[in-house]
Amino acid sequence: MARGVTAYSLVNATVRALYAKMIEPRTWDALIHAQDLNALLSVLSKTGYDPYLQVKSQAMTPRRAAYQIRWRLAKTYTKIIRLTPEPGQALLLQLWRLYEVNNLKATLRGIETGASWDRVLYLLSPMDKHTTLSLSDMESMVRSGNIRRALNYIAHTPYYDTLIHALERYHVENNLFPLEVALDLAYRRELWKSINNLSGPDHEQAQRIVGTGLDTDNLLWAIRYRIYHKLSKQEIINYTLPYGYRVQDEDIRMIADGNPIAPIIQRLYPDIRVKSDFEDSNDLSKLETALQRHLIKTCRKAFSGYPFHIGTPTAYLWLNEYEIKDLTMLIEAKASHLPIEMFAPLLVMQPTYQQTVGTTKTI
Amino acid sequence: MFQPQTMSKVNLIVPEHDVVAVTEVLAASNVFHVAQTEPFVSESSQHHTNPWYERATTFTALEQRILAVMKALEINEGSPPSQILHLISPEVAQMEVEHLEEESDAALQELEAAQHKLAQLRRYHSQLEPIADLDVDLDDLRNMQYTFVLLGTIPVTNIERLKNSLEHIPFVLVTLRQQEHLATVILFGMQRDAEILNRAARSAYLNPLNPPEMYRGTPAAAIEALKAGITRTQQHIDESQANIKQLLKLHIRHLRHLLWRVRASRTLVETIAGYEHLRYTYLATGWVPTADIQVLKQKIARVSEKVTIETTEFPQMAPREKIDEEEFSQVPVTLKNPPLIRAFQGLVTNYGYPKYGELDPTPVLAMSFPLIFGLMFGDVGHGLFLALLGLIITSGKIKSLKALSSLGGIILGCGIFSAVFGILYGSVFGFETLLQPLWLRPLEDITDILLVTVGIGTVVLSIGMLCNTVNAFLAKRWGLMLFNHNSLAGLIFYWSLIGIAVKAFGVAIPLNTWILAILALVSGLGLTFSELLEHLLDGEKPLIEGSTSTYLMQALFELFETLIGFLSNTLSYVRMGAFAVAHGAISMVVFIMAEIISPTHSIGYWLTIVLGNLFIIGFEGMIVGIQTLRLEYYEFFSKFFSGSGKRYKPLTLLPNGEN
Repeated sequence: MARGVTAYSLVNATVRALYAKMIEPRTWDALIHAQDLNALLSVLSKTGYDPYLQVKSQAMTPRRAAYQIRWRLAKTYTKIIRLTPEPGQALLLQLWRLYEVNNLKATLRGIETGASWDRVLYLLSPMDKHTTLSLSDMESMVRSGNIRRALNYIAHTPYYDTLIHALERYHVENNLFPLEVALDLAYRRELWKSINNLSGPDHEQAQRIVGTGLDTDNLLWAIRYRIYHKLSKQEIINYTLPYGYRVQDEDIRMIADGNPIAPIIQRLYPDIRVKSDFEDSNDLSKLETALQRHLIKTCRKAFSGYPFHIGTPTAYLWLNEYEIKDLTMLIEAKASHLPIEMFAPLLVMQPTYQQTVGTTKTI
Repeated sequence: MFQPQTMSKVNLIVPEHDVVAVTEVLAASNVFHVAQTEPFVSESSQHHTNPWYERATTFTALEQRILAVMKALEINEGSPPSQILHLISPEVAQMEVEHLEEESDAALQELEAAQHKLAQLRRYHSQLEPIADLDVDLDDLRNMQYTFVLLGTIPVTNIERLKNSLEHIPFVLVTLRQQEHLATVILFGMQRDAEILNRAARSAYLNPLNPPEMYRGTPAAAIEALKAGITRTQQHIDESQANIKQLLKLHIRHLRHLLWRVRASRTLVETIAGYEHLRYTYLATGWVPTADIQVLKQKIARVSEKVTIETTEFPQMAPREKIDEEEFSQVPVTLKNPPLIRAFQGLVTNYGYPKYGELDPTPVLAMSFPLIFGLMFGDVGHGLFLALLGLIITSGKIKSLKALSSLGGIILGCGIFSAVFGILYGSVFGFETLLQPLWLRPLEDITDILLVTVGIGTVVLSIGMLCNTVNAFLAKRWGLMLFNHNSLAGLIFYWSLIGIAVKAFGVAIPLNTWILAILALVSGLGLTFSELLEHLLDGEKPLIEGSTSTYLMQALFELFETLIGFLSNTLSYVRMGAFAVAHGAISMVVFIMAEIISPTHSIGYWLTIVLGNLFIIGFEGMIVGIQTLRLEYYEFFSKFFSGSGKRYKPLTLLPNGEN
């Protein structure tokens, strides 16, 4: 316990200070009710995102704005990783790698669609430090114009072996699905390993928080593969993870076997009421929103009780990520002049708006 | 020498058909600094995109393509050519790039295909090897009627998951060989379950190994055939690589020349795109040193007789009412100093450029920097060593020292002054018995050296304030000249306080204390109300910002701050004396160590002396250099030098050494 206090006191203090600067409910209301993108950016400029919005107004497109605010997450990760001791630091580094994986997927999509580097650049998550995949690597990949040649530029990264093996399937099936799934599975296996390398309160907290995140992905994959992609049982099992925090292999198998999904989710998450059979594509996105809100609740709980463990920094980083996701959605909604009713139910971070509009826990 | 070069604004009205030729002349002349202008959008032109920008985009894309070809062929860019490069037509450049890409692509694709084939053959080979002893015909394995067989490679991490996914299906999965991440496996099942087994295997990333139909017979026979195929493919690769080398030899010069030409063309069209464009003419605006105007006019006249050239000289001391202040602040600055002091120009521009019309501090720096360095590093031997080093660097004869070429002159100057002070201190490589000091020994006369350095600091700071006064005079800002904290009022205040302090220590000076006190009081009042008085003299309104009481409070605090600033800036120069003492002390330590190592003064003694001196020259020399720079930048420059001048960057189509 003493070791935990000395090891985590500095990062804990830093994280709590950062936590206090997260967007408040009042500000969320102002953002949601902003007239247009400029008004939204004006509200955002009064928050901690202001330094990242210092771009000429002509250049501040919705895509650029979304890119700029993601810089805050990059800087936060760098700061917190630096302050966190081992072995917790290894977990945070692995969490950070998710953005690298997403960048790689975006780059591959860019190559596949023949997009220019300028278009791909602002779809990427900025990565300040602790990367194996640099911006110039990705630029070279895009400019190569060919998936096979592009992989030559990442031979030095941990993703090369996975992708080069999956490349054969890409050539046979002529789509990116096998490459993306291979990356996703490989990444999450490493993440699970990072959790299991921890012990004591660190392990417990990491399982609870990160494990809940893995559960969300695993569950949504299984449902999506069954309902929308109509994959076979064997394929569903091979495209999902055999472990998790609450969601175990038996649960995935039951979904893959064709059992009703609603009771499975009910059992796993009693606070999420599921009535649908997921025939409607909106049902899955509602489930996703509900699971994300559940994760956010789990993250917020990490800030009460004994604080000297990896849970607090991990929880804050994930809260920050969801804050940015919501802001990104707001940016796109305001740029497209969507009515509030259309996007508000999909926001996950601000509970007060839920109270005014009505909770949507029942799917 | 004491001011930047006088510049003239040049407006060129160029007919459309001559714009390229004229711009090429401007670039070749290396004197025309293109002025940034607000884009002029006429009613007609705003509906058309600028074709020059489009050409610039084309050239940028071509440049990238050439670089890609060079990268693929492993050719570096080489150095920029020395001859003048003319604009290349984008279409011609495009054709040449396409031709080069075709040739290189063909060769590279052939090589890539052969390498891919080799990798595939090697993969087949490594995968058939585990079943080399299997006495079964491959055709029989391919054509099984009732048994499903799948031979392939799978990531090791996926094996268990595959097995679990097939829990209700009869199957056998055998791992033939396992490497770090990949395993070679063979999956058996029933043909009726073929679709399920195939889908499961595919989703587990089990890549089937399907040796081409041409490999018949047993695995051993197939392996022999593969080995022959590998040898043939390797030979093909060697031939392809030889072809590429040949291609390289053929095209390397052409590629490099094309690259630089495209780059030059890009710069050219980008420059023209920045001109204001009327219907049939272009307006190019820029700055040229006044001394170079005539030559430039003659060069332009040779390529076009129809260019109208309008020049406006901007004398550095033009009457204020005739100057557009904003335009004056845009004049780029180029420093021109004689060769002896030009070496120190880099130290000035490293901090910043003086504004146009201000003093160029290079001549003062060229004296003060080596003087301060020499005082802190006084030793004949060390100084001569540095001077020799500076000479070698300046000569440019040693390639590995070329990176330090900008420091050669500075090191030479510092070395000479260090040697001079070495004579004054009587020190030669730390030996103090070889020479009698002409002045003092820092280690023995610590108080004296510290007092002298304070005195030097006072003089240097005063020069700084004088420079500020001169700058204000040149800019005709009378209020600033008279009442600023670093101008006349500040100087008088500073010296009157010094006078009072010196008298208090009993030193006789030919000025009455009362006079000094009155001077201090009057100049102090001037400083206190400097803002008000400056605005009054310069005709600026309002006279004071905010309320009177706030202003008075602020003014008093600022006066106090000025007083503290004077004291701290002056005392900062004490470090010169401290380092002079330290220099002697470190030399002493070297001798003590040498004595300990070899009391009989044999080889160990002399080795220690040599290594110790080298350490002093390298390590202490670097520290003293940093301290000198700090004194110059922080104490001296801060008195008068804003460094906010605009750098003169003449148009050139290719990077040159100076850039």
